[in-house]
Amino acid sequence: MKKRTILLIGVPALLFFACSKKDSTDTTTTTTTTDTTTTTTDCSSAANSPAKVVCLAEAFEALLTSSQLATLQVDYTQTNAVKWSNLPCGATCRNGLQMSNLTTAQVTAALAIVAAASGTVTDEGYSEIQQIMAADDVLKAASGGTSYSSGIYFIAFLGTPSTTGTWQLQFGGHHLAVNITYKAGEVAGATPRFEGIEPKSWVTSGTTYAPLAGEQSAMAAMLASLSSSELASAKLSATFSDVLLGPNEDGQFPATKQGLAVSSLTSAQQLLVLAAMKPWVEDVDDSTAATLLATYKDELSTTYIAYSGNATLATNADYVRIDGPSVWIEFVCQTGVVYPSQIHYHSIWRDHKRDYGNSFTF
Amino acid sequence: MPNSFVMLDIKTDGVNAELQLPLSELQLAFGHDVAQNSGTLVARLSPELRAYLLAHIHAVSADGRAWTVTVRDLRVQPVEQSASGPYQELTAHLWLQPPVGVSTKDFTLNYDVIIHQLVTHKALVAIRQDWEKGVYSEQPEEVGVIRLDIPTGTILPLHINQSGGSMWRGFKSMVSLGMQHIAEGTDHLLFLLVLLLPAPLLVKEKRWGAFGGTKYSVIRLLKVVTAFTAGHSITLLAAATGWLRLPGQPVEVLIAISILVSAIHALRPVFSGKEAYIAAGFGLIHGMAFASTLANLDLDTTRMGLSILGFNIGIELMQLFVIAITVPWLILLSRTGTYPYIRIAGAILAAIAALAWIIQRVSDKTNFITDLVQQLMKYAPWMILLLGIASIISVSRERYGRKQDLNRL
Repeated sequence: MKKRTILLIGVPALLFFACSKKDSTDTTTTTTTTDTTTTTTDCSSAANSPAKVVCLAEAFEALLTSSQLATLQVDYTQTNAVKWSNLPCGATCRNGLQMSNLTTAQVTAALAIVAAASGTVTDEGYSEIQQIMAADDVLKAASGGTSYSSGIYFIAFLGTPSTTGTWQLQFGGHHLAVNITYKAGEVAGATPRFEGIEPKSWVTSGTTYAPLAGEQSAMAAMLASLSSSELASAKLSATFSDVLLGPNEDGQFPATKQGLAVSSLTSAQQLLVLAAMKPWVEDVDDSTAATLLATYKDELSTTYIAYSGNATLATNADYVRIDGPSVWIEFVCQTGVVYPSQIHYHSIWRDHKRDYGNSFTF
Repeated sequence: MPNSFVMLDIKTDGVNAELQLPLSELQLAFGHDVAQNSGTLVARLSPELRAYLLAHIHAVSADGRAWTVTVRDLRVQPVEQSASGPYQELTAHLWLQPPVGVSTKDFTLNYDVIIHQLVTHKALVAIRQDWEKGVYSEQPEEVGVIRLDIPTGTILPLHINQSGGSMWRGFKSMVSLGMQHIAEGTDHLLFLLVLLLPAPLLVKEKRWGAFGGTKYSVIRLLKVVTAFTAGHSITLLAAATGWLRLPGQPVEVLIAISILVSAIHALRPVFSGKEAYIAAGFGLIHGMAFASTLANLDLDTTRMGLSILGFNIGIELMQLFVIAITVPWLILLSRTGTYPYIRIAGAILAAIAALAWIIQRVSDKTNFITDLVQQLMKYAPWMILLLGIASIISVSRERYGRKQDLNRL
């Protein structure tokens, strides 16, 4: 009896997701309707991603009631900035408005902001976000619980969106935390960013989805290029069942970098290290991603790579890390929660110098 | 990934530690496929597990002297509720014994079970019992998290300092535990109130008759309350000290039956004049339910003695408070013509609740009536206020009516 009720709730959620996905593919022209007026918001003339995000954020705000606005827009404080999680803990661990509490038009407008702030590479950026959300509907159907759903994702503005001041965009839910800090119309910090997926691969209507397969294969390719002695120096003696620097671990970077110095590698191997960072860096808007990748490339000589478990990254507690002067990426395989016979992925992208736009000290 | 939990019971002669270790995480640090063959784990690997735990748990006094640690028992059990789904855990009970003459309240816990290898694991440490500080199993007090300090790559020891407690504080918290027990124990209260419902009335031709006078009411009331107290004090003492042991379920069913019996008595006098005996007899049963709270604390003789005394005082205070705010209205109302309706309605409602509790406690499943009673209890202060208003209205109406009659003469 109980199970049936949950399944009935599941159907509208799946429909909702199908709709929002279709609507949001066209982000240049977003038509929104309210009770009193009909406004057409076209932010395609914005100069760059940060400006377009602000334009779309204002268009979204125009669709909200005053109480919704109060929930969406919170103060730009350290307490609010670090309030995010990878867990299915809903609103208790997050700021902002929950997607399932919004109208279709509001959801479309909210997701348009997220899309404008994200990269456009397939399986990265916004495409990846959509798939991580869709995976939660797969988990919902498989687990029969109420803690998973593509509707349990939240959007929040910390501070007032503007192209002159400082503000932070948060979007997240289970297995996803997007934190982008804007300062004077530029991305000052694209991190911390959490990405995870369960199941790591699934088929819906004949299409296979595996949004984090690129992350796994790029990291595995980097490790596969190492000789046995290089692998030995890259191997950590400790075991990891999750990422070290998940939520609430802000600023806790290890004082000494561990593993193998990238400077000791051939240029071909170094390119593989850079390629392994790409699937994370490309999640943020394309222009910011290019700038960050250039920085991370310049810093390769003082960057370290390390792993634990198996270098193939295929079983529980297989773990890999890239730690540079700026970049910090961790990727780990864990036993599934809903699918315990499979592994699932957790990963975090941080930046020693740019987390939260370097606005806070930890 | 699930955390470990370390529950500490601070006793006078040592510290009881319960470790709850998720098998999936233990496996990554200890190996031996513990998560795969959990059913036979303890039988298969008891010596290895004991040696492993002893190697990773050390307690040291403030003066630097090491405590003796022993593993008492190991057990595998499932955990249903968690953010990362259901899982199996190893529960280990350890005894930490300080050197002779050293306090159990101030020590450093050097603990790195699982974490020494699995650096993403955390152990949440809580005080589950510290009698002198008024901490019991129902609300463990988290005192720290043992985890890797990521910047330095070290696992820091946890300093436990439970000083500041006292016998007086322990006793006081037992009094409030007793009060809380009655305030939340709807069934105990209902039993008492229903038993008091006909107390102001005289019996006439095997039916409840007129008001017997204030003195009559108060004496009958005192008899019932004193008898109930005597009854539950005896069994509370006997059961809390372990002289008497009865399974919880039959006791709970008997309590529900006691409410049903007193509800019937409130409708028709079935044991009139013998209320005190009945109250004493049912008091014996209620006392056994009170005792289960204390028996689980596993205290030494002095603290158990003080606990029984404090707990009983708390129960009395709460009972007296409830009587003080309800009985005056009952005495007032019982002079009026409204009272039979109130008495009958109260008795029938109590009987329905009692039947629902009997079904719930026999079947081990809640039903909508027991849920409803639980919900209604939130409004208890308002219901008493309503009772007060109702009694004032009916008393003044009858007075007014009498005056009108006199005027007509």
